[in-house]
Amino acid sequence: MNAITPSRQAVPAPVGLLAELTHRCPLRCPYCSNPLELDRRSRELDTQTWQRVLTEAAALGVLHVHLSGGEPTARNDIVEITETCAKLGLYSNLITSGVGGALDKLQALYDVGLDHVQLSVQGVDAANAEKIGGLKNAQPQKMLFAEKVTSLGLPLTLNSVIHRGNIHEVEGFIDLAVKLGAKRLEVAHTQYYGWAYVNRASLMPNKADVDASIRIVEAARERLKGQLVIDLVVPDYYAKYPKACAGGWGRKLMNVTPQGKVLPCHAAETISHLEFWYVTEHSLGDIWANSPAFTAYRGTDWMQEPCRSCDRREKDWGGCRCQALALAGDAAATDPACSLSPLHAKVRALAAEEAAENPPDYVYRTIGSNVRSPLKEEAKL
Amino acid sequence: MTAAFPTPAADETQRLLSPEELEAALRDIGAKRYHNLHPFHRLLHDGKLNKDQVRAWALNRYYYQAMIPVKDAAVLARMTDASLRRVWRQRIVDHDGDHPGDGGIERWLKLAEGVGFERDYVLSTKGILSATRFSVDAYVHFVSERSLLEAIASSLTEMFSPTIISERVSGMLKNYDFITKDTLAYFDKRLTQAPRDADFALDYVKQHATTPALQRQAMAALTFKCNVLWTQLDALYFAYVAPGMTPPDAWRPGEGLVAEIAAVPQAAGTGRVEAGDVPRLPRGVRLRFDETRQKHVLLAPERTFDLDDNAVAVLSLVDGSRTVTDIAIKLGETYAADPKLIEADILVMLNDLATKRVLER
Repeated sequence: MNAITPSRQAVPAPVGLLAELTHRCPLRCPYCSNPLELDRRSRELDTQTWQRVLTEAAALGVLHVHLSGGEPTARNDIVEITETCAKLGLYSNLITSGVGGALDKLQALYDVGLDHVQLSVQGVDAANAEKIGGLKNAQPQKMLFAEKVTSLGLPLTLNSVIHRGNIHEVEGFIDLAVKLGAKRLEVAHTQYYGWAYVNRASLMPNKADVDASIRIVEAARERLKGQLVIDLVVPDYYAKYPKACAGGWGRKLMNVTPQGKVLPCHAAETISHLEFWYVTEHSLGDIWANSPAFTAYRGTDWMQEPCRSCDRREKDWGGCRCQALALAGDAAATDPACSLSPLHAKVRALAAEEAAENPPDYVYRTIGSNVRSPLKEEAKL
Repeated sequence: MTAAFPTPAADETQRLLSPEELEAALRDIGAKRYHNLHPFHRLLHDGKLNKDQVRAWALNRYYYQAMIPVKDAAVLARMTDASLRRVWRQRIVDHDGDHPGDGGIERWLKLAEGVGFERDYVLSTKGILSATRFSVDAYVHFVSERSLLEAIASSLTEMFSPTIISERVSGMLKNYDFITKDTLAYFDKRLTQAPRDADFALDYVKQHATTPALQRQAMAALTFKCNVLWTQLDALYFAYVAPGMTPPDAWRPGEGLVAEIAAVPQAAGTGRVEAGDVPRLPRGVRLRFDETRQKHVLLAPERTFDLDDNAVAVLSLVDGSRTVTDIAIKLGETYAADPKLIEADILVMLNDLATKRVLER
């Protein structure tokens, strides 16, 4: 044993793999967590490579595979990939918009052993939902899809990303989840990375609305105990402490992009100085343990003050690195979402200011365009 | 009746209209400005509003309802003719009722309660938009300060209300599953009260607006009243539809509501697990041995439960055919322990998992 160089045994095994099978998606949500520069179909990994990645993931200790995208059912081999998960004992979670080809493939996915479906809902009111998702007629398709999921006996989670355009619908989301027979509901306030960062001024709710939404969720949890589990993700900018991003950098999760780049979290590419390795060039285990991107912020050695001496450093692991870079200009800084960050008051004031102004139009997610954020220069901190 | 006689143009303002022309001109004002034309009402009646937007409407409109008798009392106070007062006082009776629990205001409170509000919160009016308060107060001041003719003419929006009420009742019943016939009882009465009141007021205006100037005052009063109603909907639209800019002290979804109890039907498989029930792990929940970490885990939607040895022993016996009692007896044999004590313990654990929706019965 070498006491100085961290040994491979010191790195905990990953429990989850987010497989971004494709960036193609019929929806155009302005808060999409995908990067601004989306992978084209021609660069996507082939079926055999995904199957190898999944085999390596299972051997590495991964338990949950999140089949995501874009819209994962846009891939013709989604059924084969899901079947591979089942054969390897991996828990398969389909994260879907429920539109496009999703409904047609559901029965086959069920037959090969899909474990769980997480369906996104952009709004409760159809017109509002379709405005947010940027696709006409999406809502009825989603409702049909949800009914099919529960009629097959598959567990259904509804995922609602909350922002200024639908924060008044939180109670409606709860009613909808109950009506559709979902077992779980995620009331996830927008995290301002990727497209959501670009659209922050259109999406940021005010504090009073955020507080009201939390009260609604708390009351519903009590009322619907044993019926519906509600997971609440509160918005960073108004929080006291940051979230342990992805359960801590390089501790629990890994994310494979459509072209095979492996990231510690889905937004990590925004930290442009990091070196990411590809599954086409390295084994997943090697990438997890040794790739520069994963070792950069794993553990606590990289931390600055106030994180370095903080009691919470192994609770929230310094928060989100991408947010630290975006807001503080340094990926190793304390996440400004943390009340202990010197920038926190500024971030909060900025959120309040944006929430009070008329929202600019959404910049919808598209492949292959030059994205210009309507954020004011000074609003970038 | 269609408006055969449009509102006179500026160059005609000095001409005396016949009573029929005056009525047509008044009706024309409603045809152009009455709030049934407002986009918010279209959304309301077509079922396009969500529950919270309907709530915002009910809450704000309560203030208007509550102030109507104050307004009518102000009108009444200016009437020197007893026969006029006898007619007008009926409006106050209609709204206030003859005893507690009676009257139009009470029925509006029922409507607000029907969409989920606490009665006291509605009565406090603390969550209403300032624009609602300003518009309604302006109406009360108007009837106190202007001539009696103008005060009476301003009530003439009632000529147009039967149409909106029937649209509203049928639209809301059809489109909102949280609205019942009982909730809308307020409007049943108004269908007969409004035309009676309007007929009287219209006759009064036609008789007393005897000069071109008085006629123009009556028309202006009705226009003013249309604007009182329209402005309230503008404010609702602005705060709760688009851009959704809610003033800091106005009502927000979740406030002032009665906690909904037992409103939800129990889904299959949920509820308390008892000793005689057969517990099972539903699809999407799997007990698995984790080779990497050398321990059993329970895999569930987007979470993993770490299990201690006792939990593993219990869940290994949850097979969809054994009852809780069967499992307790089996464990009692294996561990040479009292099955009754085991049963009590595992019921706690199984119910905890049922609450988390990963175990059904």
